[in-house]
Amino acid sequence: MTIIRIAAAGLALLLAAACTAPAPPRGEVSTAASTACARPVRPPEAETPTTIDVIEQAYFCILGNYYSGATLDARSLLTAGFVALTQELNRDGRDLPGATMPALTGDRKADWAAFETAYRKITDQVPGLRDKLAIVTLEAIVAGLGDNHARWAHDVKRPLDYYDGDGYGLGLAANVNGPQADGDPGVTLPPLFVTTVQGGAAQAAGLRPGDLIESINGSAPFIDGQASPAINALYPQYPEARPVQLRLLRQSTGRRWTVTLKPGLYPRDPAALQAVQSKLLDDDIAYVRMTGFAPDSANRVLRAITRLRTGRTLTGVMLDLRGNGGGSPTEATRLVSAFAHGKVTAYQCTVDGKCQISRTDDTVELVGLPLVVLTDAGCASACEHFSSAVKDLRIGQLVGTRTAGVISGPAQGYLLSNNTTLGFPTRHHLGPNREVIDRIGVPPDHYVPLTPKDAAAGHDPALAKALALLHK
Amino acid sequence: MRHLLAVAAGLAVLAASACSAPTPPRSAVPSATPTGPATLPAPTGDHPVGATALYLKDTSRPDPWVPEAKARELMVTLWYPTQTREGQRAQYMTSKESELTLKGKRVTGVPYDVLNKTRTNAFTDAKPAGRKGSLPLVVLSPGFTTPRSTLTALAEELASRGYVVAGIDHTYENYATTFPGGRVAECVACDSDSDSGFGTKVVGVRAADVSFVLDQLTGSSAKWEGSSLIDPSKIAMAGQSIGGAATLAAMLKDSRVRAGINMDGTTYARIPKSGLSRPFLFMGAAGHPPGGSDNSWDRDWKLMTGWKRWLVLPGADHQSFTDLPLLSGALGLDLRVDLSAARSVEITRTYVRAFFDLHLHTGRQPLLDEPSPRYPEVKLCTPAGKTCE
Repeated sequence: MTIIRIAAAGLALLLAAACTAPAPPRGEVSTAASTACARPVRPPEAETPTTIDVIEQAYFCILGNYYSGATLDARSLLTAGFVALTQELNRDGRDLPGATMPALTGDRKADWAAFETAYRKITDQVPGLRDKLAIVTLEAIVAGLGDNHARWAHDVKRPLDYYDGDGYGLGLAANVNGPQADGDPGVTLPPLFVTTVQGGAAQAAGLRPGDLIESINGSAPFIDGQASPAINALYPQYPEARPVQLRLLRQSTGRRWTVTLKPGLYPRDPAALQAVQSKLLDDDIAYVRMTGFAPDSANRVLRAITRLRTGRTLTGVMLDLRGNGGGSPTEATRLVSAFAHGKVTAYQCTVDGKCQISRTDDTVELVGLPLVVLTDAGCASACEHFSSAVKDLRIGQLVGTRTAGVISGPAQGYLLSNNTTLGFPTRHHLGPNREVIDRIGVPPDHYVPLTPKDAAAGHDPALAKALALLHK
Repeated sequence: MRHLLAVAAGLAVLAASACSAPTPPRSAVPSATPTGPATLPAPTGDHPVGATALYLKDTSRPDPWVPEAKARELMVTLWYPTQTREGQRAQYMTSKESELTLKGKRVTGVPYDVLNKTRTNAFTDAKPAGRKGSLPLVVLSPGFTTPRSTLTALAEELASRGYVVAGIDHTYENYATTFPGGRVAECVACDSDSDSGFGTKVVGVRAADVSFVLDQLTGSSAKWEGSSLIDPSKIAMAGQSIGGAATLAAMLKDSRVRAGINMDGTTYARIPKSGLSRPFLFMGAAGHPPGGSDNSWDRDWKLMTGWKRWLVLPGADHQSFTDLPLLSGALGLDLRVDLSAARSVEITRTYVRAFFDLHLHTGRQPLLDEPSPRYPEVKLCTPAGKTCE
């Protein structure tokens, strides 16, 4: 078991993207174009530095395998990479007279050769920056796809004193999180406030749910009603460890004060980390919270419902998918299959409109109870696959707020020669009505946002609404 | 976007195996023709060995895996010195345990009862022998999904050397535990073993199990006829995999556990900043060198302030410290490890016994102080320098 865990930890890191996708039929991946990169088959060895050869491999890997790799203008990727390269030179005070973009023709191979020549000429003059420049260039090329399931995983580190289940950061969650906190704020509404105190620095400083965050490192969280990038500082990732200063207002007492929180590891309650948690509400509602669509999680939800059902008559099921970051589309389809048979749950389509159809697994026994699903902006990817199916197939009602809109398509992982992993979708996701969910999200049937007052008082208005609907 | 993905990656790290296909159990690797039931090698000590199964019920807590069960029920096997050299050999495991373990490990091509036919060396319910209050007690905790019987070769050895050994089945954490009357508990914990924080929960549960078992085996209302032979000031523990992690957790929770051995288990319990001063031995397979991919031993090592050693067997694998190598022929498995079954059981028995003899029993053990020419497979590590020799 321990070895399995160690291996799994490594795998999970690098297959983070891959795990969101079912294995494609063999014939599909073994096209000639995809030879640039392969699916990882075992936990990769230790990472080695990123070189121009790795960038080249990633470039052709994208062109050969990405959703629109066959048709996209490869010049846009090289340009994005070159922009990042020159910006980094500038940031380091090492701008060079010869750091200019070569002319590109639209011939993918010739353009790469021109890019590589220019790249080598520049980086040879700043050998001390070579690794850093390679990283920003490849990051920018991947970001150039503008795809929320495209990601290059590299330099993944964990603190040495890490314990299983530990969190890292300030120890709090706010009402703006996930995709909203980074560049794509959607229609995030002020004010910014603490929704959960998870531990760590936030707990030690006495923060409580409902506390308003008036400024972050001196910056306002909203400027002219728009969420500012300053909010991002609430969620530092290891090894980021710079302290974050927050000005807070507790409305109940009128107290206004400033705290400085240092990011770090903090223990979390194992019970709260279980991917599937369940309890009985009002003695007749099965409440099941699911934090991710991990392998076997659909079965775990169904077993939990069965257990709660034993010896009593239930009147409904409440699935709490708030903060559910997604996972396996297979699990999403399996869970839909417990509420509807003979239906399509999603389409996964290539750029030229050829679609794989995800159908319900009609061997899954139907639950046969009214269903209400709680959603919010933290419900992403497979969570939106499930939520859109619930809505489109009319198998239940959604309560809460609109989902994340982060579901371009299931990501596949590809191993690069320096043991880093590239992940991106080969197909894009459409809902059961062939509608785009990505960047739009799934709107709830009943809009019930959380207010700071609710958070402070420990009220859950969405849950109350869901209960009322199930008892109707 | 970067942020969500970072969060997602964080999740993946912390949720460990949540997103990855579980590695197929090592034992699912098929190989040659099965040999029929195994015979465990005879223990090397002077005493004949007795064995008995105890049913214990802790009514002070609900079962942590099945909260509707208002008590935690445990099955414990005791191995101990006896004077009897005859009687019925102890059953290795029940036929239901054999069947469910093979099914759980996806072993096919052998009869489901092949494990319960394993020939042991202990005599069932033989009368315990020894002076009152003289026998040291060693608790053994098995790996996740495997029953307590998978540490029988080690348990029999220690008993033949004068120890009372208590092997615990941590209910619902293995494929099968049989209770009196034939009732069988299966692996409820397997349901959530990919969750972040799962290991932390398991070792907490096991530490509570151990304290309860010690309560039941010592003191005036002890549950076993041989209890009065135990010296309650000489209690130690060892475990394999998560059982090794549980050993550390039990030591931190219960000061009656004087010393511990972790055989190849990633650890989860938090050692307080003030440190742990009781003796501890890390015995790792190839995957547990200092500075390796599992950070937990390096992390804990720094907080251990007493006698400590870190041994690595580069030719061993995760199961080398259990009976599995001895059973591989019966199961028709090729484990693909360098160490032979006979050698891995000899090394495990020798080093574990040396540790307990040193800390509970008879004093100096040069074997644990320097590399041994008799056991070149075992490397003694210097974690600060990330070296083993």
